Order: sequence, then structure tokens, then C-alpha cells
Amino acid sequence: MFQAKARADILKEVVNVVSTLVDEAKFSVNSDGLSLKAVDPAHIAMVDLSLAKDAFEEFKADEAEIGLDIDKLSQFLKLARADDIVDIKHDEDKRRLNIVVGDITRRMSLIDTTGMSDPKVPSLSLPASLTVNVDDLVQGIRASETVSDHIALLASPESFEMTCEGDMDQVNWKKAKKDMESLEAPSSVRSLFPLEYFANMLKAVPSGSSVTMHLGNDYPVRVEFKIAGGKGDVRYLLAPRIESGD
Amino acid sequence: MVDSSSMFDEILSLEDLSRKSSMCVYCKGSKMLCGKDRCSVIARFYSASKTRERIDSLNLDGSSPPSVFVGRFGYPKVAIGPMIPPMHGDTSLYDTPERWAGMSIDDIIDFRSMMVRGMHWVKVGEVESPNKLVVRTRDLALARTPPDVDAQFERKPYGRLSVNDDVQPFGPSAPLRRFDVSTCRFDARLEKAFFDTDLRAKDAVISLYKDGLLLSQIQRAFSVGAFGVGARRKFVPTRWSITAVDSNLGLHMLETTKTFPTINEYRVYETQSLDNRWAVLMMPTSWRYELIEAWYPNTAWNPHSDKIAIMSDCEFYDGRTDYASIGGCYYAARLAVNELLQRERRQAGVSIMREAHPGYILPVGVWNVRENVRAALRDPPRRFGTLKEALTHISTIMDIPMSRWIRNSALLKDALYQKRIDDLWG
Repeated sequence: MFQAKARADILKEVVNVVSTLVDEAKFSVNSDGLSLKAVDPAHIAMVDLSLAKDAFEEFKADEAEIGLDIDKLSQFLKLARADDIVDIKHDEDKRRLNIVVGDITRRMSLIDTTGMSDPKVPSLSLPASLTVNVDDLVQGIRASETVSDHIALLASPESFEMTCEGDMDQVNWKKAKKDMESLEAPSSVRSLFPLEYFANMLKAVPSGSSVTMHLGNDYPVRVEFKIAGGKGDVRYLLAPRIESGD
Repeated sequence: MVDSSSMFDEILSLEDLSRKSSMCVYCKGSKMLCGKDRCSVIARFYSASKTRERIDSLNLDGSSPPSVFVGRFGYPKVAIGPMIPPMHGDTSLYDTPERWAGMSIDDIIDFRSMMVRGMHWVKVGEVESPNKLVVRTRDLALARTPPDVDAQFERKPYGRLSVNDDVQPFGPSAPLRRFDVSTCRFDARLEKAFFDTDLRAKDAVISLYKDGLLLSQIQRAFSVGAFGVGARRKFVPTRWSITAVDSNLGLHMLETTKTFPTINEYRVYETQSLDNRWAVLMMPTSWRYELIEAWYPNTAWNPHSDKIAIMSDCEFYDGRTDYASIGGCYYAARLAVNELLQRERRQAGVSIMREAHPGYILPVGVWNVRENVRAALRDPPRRFGTLKEALTHISTIMDIPMSRWIRNSALLKDALYQKRIDDLWG
């Protein structure tokens, strides 16, 4: 059983976070709230999302798995204004999700979740961590997008940098520790990432909020931020690109 | 043997080649100053001289393979009409590129240069016009076997062999006064799609392909606006129609290809023809695809440089949103690899490497890419356990060093350098 009411803008945030990596996803619900883990088709990135039940206006659920076509959901939510209340009900017998916005009811067929595996979140020890405003980062990304298809993230005890090197041009974005919300780096670390993935992840972060990143040397990056006004947690994991030897 | 220098003067005067670089005049096909293996001017002339007397007239009578041509210049007002060789009998080979793989460039130029193109100008939307030239051009495109065509031109067919990257070469052309087509039977499947004015063009292409029609047949009917929802039918310039069919069929297959399990090993398929070398690398990953073409100096499309020119286009799982910069061949090869993946019900990451060596003196059309990739995929592949072994094998087939291929390959860079989230991070 799953039945809930939520503000449309909160659901849109969830859809933005998930659609960055996958078209179809398996949501798990239980009495505490809703969660999801998914890996993109190329196995380069992973999302781990949880939304506490108090992010919803109303929330009632037993343990269940719901397979959703994210595109369909996103299309339907476009009909709703930010402060509209969306009514969601899982129809287990007909294997559908009934969603109501205002006078419109959408009965959405669910995707079979039996073939969808549960990705394991690797446990990583990432020595550096830092917190910055997402809008600053997005500016740096926008400067990089025409230069190359990969971006280097560097954290040192004094600063955090993003560097993008193309065949001809170079872009560097740098923040000193004093201008950041926090920066903890015992030594300098550097990893290279596919820019498109990194950019899309940052674009899913609600504007104005803080992003925390955990970094290592030639190691994945973990990007953490809050959604639903602090009542939801998102963790992205992105695998690096390593251009050494063969 | 004709004296080559007098022949040269003749061809230069006859065929308006005065704009040709002055080097050709000094060389006259004997010194190979341009660096090509054989002189492309001579290659054209030999073909032209064999047919010239047969088509030097206001009337032409021959069996059309069947074949039609829709030009693109002046769009939306374009030249449509039949292509007719000056001979009778089973000429179907002349417009069936599916049967050309393995033939020499001379053979292909030989019969293609005999194809005389009749031209009648229409607006692309006028597919329903009762004008006999329009009706007969369309009927010809639907014919099952080569009908006899009797054409009268406004003036004598004129011109040299027309070549370009997408369309197979063809011979002289002339405006049509009238033409007749002998009674011929339509291909029943094409006819059915033609009369179904509710069937969308894309769906018609897909169902005819599933019925086993050749791509060249489907493309021919597509170009004369024989498919699609009634009022929306249009003539489609031949070169656009080739890529429209390749691209739509490829996208259709990809819908299912992308749901199949991945292959289990690295594979290398290879072939050679017309001094082109091909290596098709398949990797056990989700769908992604690229075509990398290396043009040697003095090949058809790299005539003025002393360096090898390499260009490539790629797509990952989600496909492309813009047109590939290397053009129609990207879509032709994508179709060919999807045919194999569909047969095996597998998906894979596919990187195609092509070297066009100096013997490739004239471009012969997109079919060259499609049919050669198909030919490569017909033979069993070499199988490897690792990417490194597969790349080592490719280095033995290709001249260009692997490091240079990698620099130009988005897929190989991704495979070699991009780590996966489920790699072991310890």
C-alpha cells in the first residue's frame, strides 16, 4: 500500500535528480518514506536518494517497490504549478500509479521491477571534502562546456579548483578556503571526470543551495545535497577518468 | 591504345574540365603528378568513350534497372526522372548497390556512367500531378523487373560522370520531352504501401524492410513520394532519401537493440575493397557507436593535402541530437551494425575504423560504406578476451597507429580511460 500527497515542486526536484541518470527507476517505499538507488546505463554514475515521509503533506505506506517511467512522470508533472498538491495512489491490483493534479487524473502503468537490480553503493574513503554554493559551481561548468569533454577537480588545504583543458583552450575556476562554506583536505588531491555527467548532476541541485563534495586522487567523487527543503537527501557518485599508461 | 596526350586534350575540351588544376594538363594522365594511383580523368574518359556514340542522340531506348533520380538543386523545385542505360535486358545490377560489394571501381564506373538521367522539373509536393512524366517516373520506381524505357530529350544528353559522396555515380543528363515505360509489374509489397495513404512513411519503410525488400528498392520508392500519409507525400532528393531510409531503419532497430543483453567478448570484423580498409570493433558494453574515417592524401576527399585527414562522429546510449558531421555514411554503417546485433539479439559498443587509401580515386556513394560494413560482418569475427588484445589485432590490419585512432575515438577513450562505478575501489 502506498498513498501520499505532496507539493508538485518537491516531486519535480525528485524527478530532476533521477532523470539525470536513468529513464526508468525503481522506487522503494516503506513507513519511513521513499528511497531510490540507480546506476546509469553506462555504469559511470550512481544516484542514491531518500525522501523522509515528512517531506510529504500526507504519507502512508507499507513496504513496496514501484517501477516508474521517469519521462512519463516528468511530462505529467509539467501540468502542475509549484504549489499544487499532487495526490498519488498505488493501485496494486492493476499495477498502476494513479496521480491526480487538480481535475486531472493520470493512471500510469508501472514498469516490471523484477529485472531491476539493487545497485550496491561502494564504500569509499575520500580524504577531501568541501562545501560550496551550487550557483558558483554552475558558473564554472558553463565556462568549461565549450572547451573540453572532461573536467579536473582539485582540492588542496588552501583552495578548490576546477580545470578544463581542451586542445586549444583552458578554463580554470578557483575558490580560496576563506570564500567557501567549508574545506577539509589533508593534502592535494586531483581526479578527472566526464564533464557532461558532472554538469548534469549539478544542474539537478536546487538553485541557491549548498553542495558537499568528497574527493580523492584518481578516485570517484561523491556529490551530496539536500532537496525538499532539507527533508530529502541525494548522493551522486561519479567514476573518474584516468589517462595514464595503457 | 589511344595516345594518351591527344585523348587528354579531347577530354578536356569535351567535358569542360578547363577548371581542373593545371597540374592535370602537364601530367595528362601519364606522370601521376597528383599522386593518385590512377588518373581519375582517364577513368572517366574510358567509360564515356564506350557509351558516347550510343547516347549521342535525342532518343534513347533501354531497359531501366529500374532507376530514378531526384535532384536536390533548386529545392523545393527539383529535377525528377528516369535513369536509362542504352541497352536492353536484365540491367538490374546497375542500380542495386547491394550486389556491388567486391566489384572493382572500374566496373562500377563503367556501368554507372552509362546511366543517362532524364530531367523534368516539379515542385516536391506535386506527387499527385497527372503529368505523364511524373506518373511514369513514379511507376518506374515501383517496378519489379527492368522495364523498357523509350525517352525523347529536349537536347542531346550532356555531361560527364557525376560523382559525389552520397549518391552512386551516374552518366550524362538531359531535359526530358517525353518518355514511355513498357508494361511492367509493380512489386506487390511496394504497391500495397503506395496505395495505403494512412500509413506513415517511416512505418512503410520499416514494414517493407521486414518483408525483405532491398534498401535500394525502398529508397527508390521513398524518393518518388510513394509512401506516407496522403497529403503529406513529397518527392525527396535521392541523396536525402538514402540517409532518411538508413537513419530511420537504424533508429527503429535501436529501440530493441538497446534492450538486448550485451555480447560477451571483444570482436574484430574486417574487410577490404576499392582500396578501403575496414575494421569493426565490437565491445561488451551498452549501445554506443562511432565511425572514424581516415582519408589518405590524394584520395577522393583529401586531394590537396599531404597529411592524412581523420574525421569521426559518435553517439552514446542516448543517441545524437544533431546531424553527423561526416554525413550519410554514419547512418549507413549504423544500420549495418544494427542488422547484425538484431540477428544475434545482442547489444554492443561498436567502433568502425576506415582507411581510404590512394587507390580510392572516386567517391562511389554511401552504399560503399553500408555494403562493406555488411560484408565485414558476414564473416566470422576474431574474438578476444580483452580490449588490449583486440586493439593489438587491429594494429596488424590498419596502417595508422593505434595511438592515433585512440586520439580520434570517443569510444576508445571512454573504454580505456573512463572508470566504472562498479569497478573495485579499494
